[in-house]
Amino acid sequence: MNNVIEARGLTKRYKGTVAVDNIDLQIPSGRIVGLIGPNGAGKTTALKAILGLANYEGELNVLGKNPAKDRAALMEDVCFIADVAVLPRWIRVWQLIELTENIHPKFSREKCLQYLESTKITLDHKVKQLSKGMVVQLHLAIVMAIDVKLLVLDEPTLGLDILFRKKFYTNLLNDYFDEERTIIITTHQVEEIEHILSDLIFIQDGRIALNCSMEEVQENYVELIVAPDKAAAARDLQPLYERELFGRFIFLYKNSNREQLKALGELHTPSVADLFVATMSGGIA
Amino acid sequence: MSRLIALVKREFWENKGAFRTTPLVIGGIYIVLTLMFLITFNHFDNEFQSLKELARFLSQTEVGLRSEIIYGVTIAVFPGLFTLALGFVVFFYLLGSLYDDRKDRSILFWKSLPASDTLTLGSKLLAAMVVAPLIFWVVYVLTQIVIMLIISAVVASLGENPWTLFLSLGSPFKAWSMVLLSYLAQSIWALPLYGWLMLVSSFAPRIPLLFAVLPPVVVAVLQIWIEFLQTFTLKKNLFGVIGEWFANSPLILSADNHGDDKLSVSLGIPLTDTFGHEVTVGNILDRLFSTHMLIGLAVAAVFLGTALWLRRRATES
Repeated sequence: MNNVIEARGLTKRYKGTVAVDNIDLQIPSGRIVGLIGPNGAGKTTALKAILGLANYEGELNVLGKNPAKDRAALMEDVCFIADVAVLPRWIRVWQLIELTENIHPKFSREKCLQYLESTKITLDHKVKQLSKGMVVQLHLAIVMAIDVKLLVLDEPTLGLDILFRKKFYTNLLNDYFDEERTIIITTHQVEEIEHILSDLIFIQDGRIALNCSMEEVQENYVELIVAPDKAAAARDLQPLYERELFGRFIFLYKNSNREQLKALGELHTPSVADLFVATMSGGIA
Repeated sequence: MSRLIALVKREFWENKGAFRTTPLVIGGIYIVLTLMFLITFNHFDNEFQSLKELARFLSQTEVGLRSEIIYGVTIAVFPGLFTLALGFVVFFYLLGSLYDDRKDRSILFWKSLPASDTLTLGSKLLAAMVVAPLIFWVVYVLTQIVIMLIISAVVASLGENPWTLFLSLGSPFKAWSMVLLSYLAQSIWALPLYGWLMLVSSFAPRIPLLFAVLPPVVVAVLQIWIEFLQTFTLKKNLFGVIGEWFANSPLILSADNHGDDKLSVSLGIPLTDTFGHEVTVGNILDRLFSTHMLIGLAVAAVFLGTALWLRRRATES
């Protein structure tokens, strides 16, 4: 399999604290990976290493290149939106387009203008005149017009309203993603991206807590909702996690006998958010 | 190459106010002052009577002397404001060059482009060393042409021939080339300063001006103090080195020479005789091919190398 990212023993220390702790990771091409973890878990640090924005220990190979040494060359095949609204505020839209066109060999002006047509952004606008949502739209229009193999989005929609967020991911999925590309997304709004993800990676305290495909989530994990009188029986089947909701009990199981569970109550595929909470509280690892 | 040009263009776009508007405003001031001068003259003085006298008087002075004065005014007096403003513009531009995008976090966007940090640093240095001086120079030349045209029109209307009076004198093309050469030579001569400013710009957490000025001041004051304690004299210190370096610069400066009415034009300030201070191509090249310059380039290389090293790590945390 053709891996876009290969990391072995990836470690990053900041003055005594370990932000990324000995991570092994392979991400094949053609996937949409959600990188999910609590604040300060090391997501952004790991992404920075992958993008050549920070030094690291261990082995890291992104599209056959060493990001710490070849950032500029790597950026011909990798694009990233590292945060909301990092476009320079003084620049005009036409200047941004001309600049990207002259620096990026894989940028298509027509595509970019085509995306911009559906927005209220004009070529003469300065970035500082645009609303936060429009800046993100502009950045996305630029990024989607670049034909790269890996796209990294670190909290790309933070602080945007739900309409923008929905549109952002719809555009990304419909107009951009194909088998050749790989997208890595981090976000706190897990429920908004879970239906577009193909893979899940949970990070906790600088380590990978869970790394599996969405199919594996469906196959391996199941949620059982039971009435209080069945709670004790459900608890005996070694759930990973339990919680209570409106007087009913919800249990999360891994690789368990579904027939046996069915007898006790309703079965569901757990949401990524529930899986995340269960993982973070130590149930799964 | 196209990437470098694109990056230099970006520097121009971002700093249009400093790089383009500043010289245009200065040129405008010169032109407005000229017009005001003429109108004032006309106001107190019917039909330019005394201006006519002045023109007639000038036309009778010796051609050689007139030519010399016009040349001196063209290379030193006239560019004065442009040179001063250019100094300020380049100083503050470099001080912000690696700082501003760290502050507003747009560095994350710049780093997402396939342009190396070396190329980025180079484009900023190129903007400071070549683009800004070139724009200032072009505006200075254009301003002078406009003013010469205005004065020619007035002189002609007074019945004098502007061509023989001043247009044909003072070798303007030579003067303009000299100023351009001096600007570009100064860009090289000032590289240690430029390197220092970029270095400060690459690490200052805030107020880069403070980080640029404070360390040399502290070092110099300590030097002076220690020297004074040891020998009870005030010898060479960092202030002296910087002052001498500036005095030896290939900038064309003018001064009123001890009130004897003769305009003195010199390269830098004639304090020492390490270098010739007469404004000649030879003297400018002398500076560029000196041991002083070599040491300066070595210092600049250290500063710029460190700035580059820090720039690579600017997104660490």
